[in-house]
Amino acid sequence: MTTKITSARPAAGPRKGSRRRPPASSATTVGRPGFAWALPAAVFFALFAITPLIMVAVLSFMSWDGLGSPEFVGMDNWSRLMDDPVMLNSVWLTLLLTVLGVAIQTPLSIVLGVWAAGHQRNRAVLSVIYFIPLLLSATAVSVLWRALLDPNFGIPADAAWLFGDGNLFGEQATAIGVLAFVSTWQFTPFHTLIYQGAARAIPQVLYQAAEIDGAGRYRQFFHITLPQLRNAMITSMILMIVGGLTTFETVLILTQGGPGTDTTISAYYMYDKAFKSFDFGTGSAIALVLVIAATIISLVVVKVSGYDKMRSTMEGSS
Amino acid sequence: MKTRARLPRLVACGATLALTVTLAACGGGDGGASADDGKIHVLVYGDATNKVEKKLVDTFNKTSDVKVVLDTIPGADYQKKLQTIISTPQAPDVFFNWGGGSIKPFVKADLLLPLDGFIEKNPDLENKFLPSVFNNAVVDGKPYGVPMRGTQPVLLFHNKPVLADAGVEPPKTWDELLDAVEKLKDAGVTPIALGGGDIWPTQMWFQYLFDRIAGPELLANALKGDKSAWESADSKKALGVIKELVDAGAFGKNYDSVKYTNGGSVQLLASGKAGFELMGSWYYSQQLTDHKAFAEKGLGYSTFPTVKGGKGDPANTAGNTNNYYSVLKKTKHPEAVAEFLKLMYSDEFVKEQLAIGNLPTTTNTDKFIDTASNPEYARFQYDLVADAPSFQLSWDQAYPQKSSSDLHKAIQQFFNGQLDADGFIKAMQALPTE
Amino acid sequence: MRRRPHYLAGAGSIFWLIVVGLPLYVMIAATLRTRQDYAENGPVSIPDSFTLDNYTGAFDSGFDQYFFNTLVVTACVIGIVLLLVPPLAYAIVRSRGRTTSAIFRLFLLGLAIPAQAVIVPMFYLISEAGLYDNLLGVILPTAAFCLPMSALILSGAMRDISPELYEAMAMDGASPRRMFFQLVLPLSRGGLSTIVVFSALQAWNGFLFPLVLTQSDSTKVVTLGLYNFQTEHGIDIPGLLGAVVLSMVPILLVYLFARRALVQGLMGVGGK
Repeated sequence: MTTKITSARPAAGPRKGSRRRPPASSATTVGRPGFAWALPAAVFFALFAITPLIMVAVLSFMSWDGLGSPEFVGMDNWSRLMDDPVMLNSVWLTLLLTVLGVAIQTPLSIVLGVWAAGHQRNRAVLSVIYFIPLLLSATAVSVLWRALLDPNFGIPADAAWLFGDGNLFGEQATAIGVLAFVSTWQFTPFHTLIYQGAARAIPQVLYQAAEIDGAGRYRQFFHITLPQLRNAMITSMILMIVGGLTTFETVLILTQGGPGTDTTISAYYMYDKAFKSFDFGTGSAIALVLVIAATIISLVVVKVSGYDKMRSTMEGSS
Repeated sequence: MKTRARLPRLVACGATLALTVTLAACGGGDGGASADDGKIHVLVYGDATNKVEKKLVDTFNKTSDVKVVLDTIPGADYQKKLQTIISTPQAPDVFFNWGGGSIKPFVKADLLLPLDGFIEKNPDLENKFLPSVFNNAVVDGKPYGVPMRGTQPVLLFHNKPVLADAGVEPPKTWDELLDAVEKLKDAGVTPIALGGGDIWPTQMWFQYLFDRIAGPELLANALKGDKSAWESADSKKALGVIKELVDAGAFGKNYDSVKYTNGGSVQLLASGKAGFELMGSWYYSQQLTDHKAFAEKGLGYSTFPTVKGGKGDPANTAGNTNNYYSVLKKTKHPEAVAEFLKLMYSDEFVKEQLAIGNLPTTTNTDKFIDTASNPEYARFQYDLVADAPSFQLSWDQAYPQKSSSDLHKAIQQFFNGQLDADGFIKAMQALPTE
Repeated sequence: MRRRPHYLAGAGSIFWLIVVGLPLYVMIAATLRTRQDYAENGPVSIPDSFTLDNYTGAFDSGFDQYFFNTLVVTACVIGIVLLLVPPLAYAIVRSRGRTTSAIFRLFLLGLAIPAQAVIVPMFYLISEAGLYDNLLGVILPTAAFCLPMSALILSGAMRDISPELYEAMAMDGASPRRMFFQLVLPLSRGGLSTIVVFSALQAWNGFLFPLVLTQSDSTKVVTLGLYNFQTEHGIDIPGLLGAVVLSMVPILLVYLFARRALVQGLMGVGGK
C-alpha cells in the first residue's frame, strides 16, 4: 500500500526533489561508498568476461576454422546469416521456447512458491525434494528424461492413450514440447525458491486486515500476494528470459537440434557452427546476436519495471 | 572527507589489479603447461580402451629415455578440443583420430608429419597392418596414421527365436530382407530396430546401400570434390531403395525417438520386439553385458545382404576401420615417437586388445585370435576385414569433421521424409570436402 | 497455522511431487541395480537386484582425484566471489555515482553472455597467461561468470536493510567502511549464503571451462570424469547415474545445512 503512494509522488512533486528527499539529504551524501568499492569486481569481470566478448565481436568479422590465422572478411558472416533460413528459423524457435518457458514456469513457480512459503512441516519436507533437480547436471537430466520417454520402454509405452506411438522426438511439435517440459522440470525449483522467499517477506498485517474485511483466500491471493510479488516476478522473469536465450545443453543432449533442424535454437546453432562445422566467424556472429538480444531485453525489463531505481522507492516506503 | 575515505580503496584495488597482472605475467614466463617439458604427449579419446593405452605407455617408459605422457579427453568432445588446441603450443605430439576426413584439414594446414620417413627406416610400420585398414589414413598419397585400436565392421544382427517364429532365415540378398520385413510385420514385431535419435545408426544403412549399389567409387569421387557423383543414376537408385525400405515400415514409426546410446534399440532386439539391428561389431559385447542370456543363445549375425545388379563387390564391408595415431610436425622427439609407434604391432598390444574385446588389424592378430573371449566371432570379423576388397569408412569420418553436422541433418531428413531425393542430393553436394 | 488445510493446494503439491519424484526414483533405483537388470526391465520398473557396484565403479575410475580437484576449484571460486561481490553489491545499493551505475549495467550485460560464446577467445587468453592445464585457469573464468548473478542476488538482499540503520550510523559519523563491516555484512548473511550456494553449484557442475582449459588426469574435475562414462559405443547408464548421484552428494549436504539461510537470502532477490 505504502509503495503505491510513494511511487505516485514523483509525478505530483517536482522531479528533482523526488530523488533527493530533504530530510534524508544529509544522510545520502555522508557515508556513501564510492565507486572504488565496485572496482575490483569490475576489473576482474572485464578481464575474464568482457575481454573475450570483445574478441568474439572482432571474430564475427573474420573467417577462421581454428587452424592457421583468422582472415578479415568484412560483413560476409553477417550477410550470410541474414539469408540463412536455419538462422531465421532458430530465432523464431528461441523466442517460442523462451515465451513458453516464461508462460509455464511463472504461474507454476508462483503457486508452488506461495504454497511452500507456509510454515507447515510437510511443506518444508516437500520443498527439499522439489529443490533436487537443480543439483543435477544437464547431462544427468537429459539422460534421465531420454530414458523415461523411450517409446518402447519408458512412460509412453504404458500410456499409449496419451502418447500414441511415442514418437516424441520425431515430430517438431512434440520435440519442442519435451524441451519446454524438461527445462520447466529443471528450473522451476529455482524460481519457486525466489517466490517462496518473497512470499514469506509479505507482512502478515496485510492478510489480517483483509480477513477483517472478509476477503476470501483467492481474493487475498490476487489482491495482496500477487501485487506484493512484483519485484520477485521481475527478477525471475529476467533470469528466465536470459536463461531461455542462452540454454542449449538440453537441446544438445535431448534432440541435437532435430529432427532435421526442427529444434535448432540460436544458441545451439551457434554451437553447431562453431564446434561442429568449425566456422568460428559465423559462430561468433550468432553469439553476438544472442548477447545483444538478451541485454536489450533485460535492460528493457529493468527500465520498464524500475528495478534499478528500486532503492529510492525502498527508501521512500519505509 | 569523501576523497580521504576513498583513497584506501583505490590503493586496495590498485593492488588487486597489480596482483592479477603479475600473476598473468609470471604465468606467461613458463610458456604453457604441456609444451616443451621434454616429454611426448599422447592425446587419446577417453573411454574403456584407455587401460590398454596406459599399459603400452608404461611398457615404453620402462626402456625409453624420453617419456610418454597419456592425456585423455572425454569422448563426446574429443574433436572439439582437438581442433581448438592443435595449432597452439599446447598441441600434443601424437594424437588419436579416425583417419580419412578427420585428419585431412590438419594435413592441408601442414600440421602433420608424413610417416613415409619412418616407414623407410622401418618398413614394418606399414607391412604389419592389413592394407584395407592402413590405407584409410593415407591422404594425397602419403601415410599419416598408424592403426592403434581395433576394427569395427558393421554387421546385420538378429534375434534368432524371433526370426524362427516368423519363418525367416538371415537374409543373403536384398529381396530376402524385404521378404523378411513383411513376415516380421505380420508376426507383429518391428522388423528392424533403429536408434534414429543418434543419427549415425541411420547413416549405416546409407553407407552399405551406396556401397553395394554404386560401389565405393561414388563416395571416393564425391570426396574428391566431384559433385555430380550424387546426381548419378546409381545414387538415385540407392536413395530409392532406402525410401522403399522406410515406406515398407521396416523401422516402425518411432525410430527417431529411439536411441542406441541409452540402450533403447539394444533392448528392443534383446526383448524380441524387433527382428534385426544393423550395428558395429561392438554390439556383441554390449548385448553380453546388458542381456547375457540373449547374447549367448539368441543373438545371430550375418554380413550385409547383396543387392542384385549392384556395382559394389559383395565382399566389401563398412564401418570403423580402426583408429589411428598421427604425429605432429612440431614434435621434438621424432625418433622416440617412431619407437613408440612400433608398439602398435607388438604381441603385447595384440593380446591386450583381444583381451578387452577389440580386434586389432595387424598381421600377427591371426596368431592370437583364439585367445579372444569369443574366438568364433573374432575370426568371422577378422576374415571379413582381411578379405574385403574395400572397407568403407563411416561417412561422417570420411568427410571432414566440419561437414558432419550438415551430413547428419540430410540423412535424418531424407529418412523421415522431410527431404526428397533431390533435396538430399543438393544437401550432399553442398558439403565441404576439404 | 491458523488456517484450515487447503485441499486444492495439497492435490497440486502431490502432483508436482510425482513429476519431480519419478525421475529421481528412476535415477536412485538405477544406481542400486545391476546393469543387466536395468537393461532388461526398463527404467520405470521396480528393481529385482541390488548392488553397490555402480558406486564403487565410479571410485575405481579415479574419481577420488577428480573430487579433490573439483573441491579445490569450488572452494577457490567461492573465495573469489566472497571477496569481490559484497563490496560490489554494497556500492551498487548505496553509491550514488554515475560510474557505479555504469558498472551495474556492465554486470547486467554479463548476465547474458553464454560461456559457450566466449570459449575460444577464453582458451587463448588462458593459454597466453600460461594457465592452461592448471586449475587456476579454470577457477578464474568460472568465478568471473558467477559475478553477475551473485551481484544481482546480493544487491537484492542488501536493499532489504532499512535506510534508517544507515542513517543512524551516519549520525555517529561512521565511515562507509565501518557501515560495511558492522551493518551490511552481518545483515546480509542470507544473501551471502545464497551466493555461496549459487557459485558452489556453478563451480561444482561446471563442464565447459574445465573441458577446454585442462588436459591431464591430474587436473580433471568430476564433470569431465562423468563424461567418460558416456563413451562412443558403450552404454552404462546405471554406472553414469551412480557417478551423478555421488557428484551431487556434497552439494546436497551444503544445501541441507544452509537451507534456512538460502531461503532468507532469496527473499532479498525477490524484494518486497
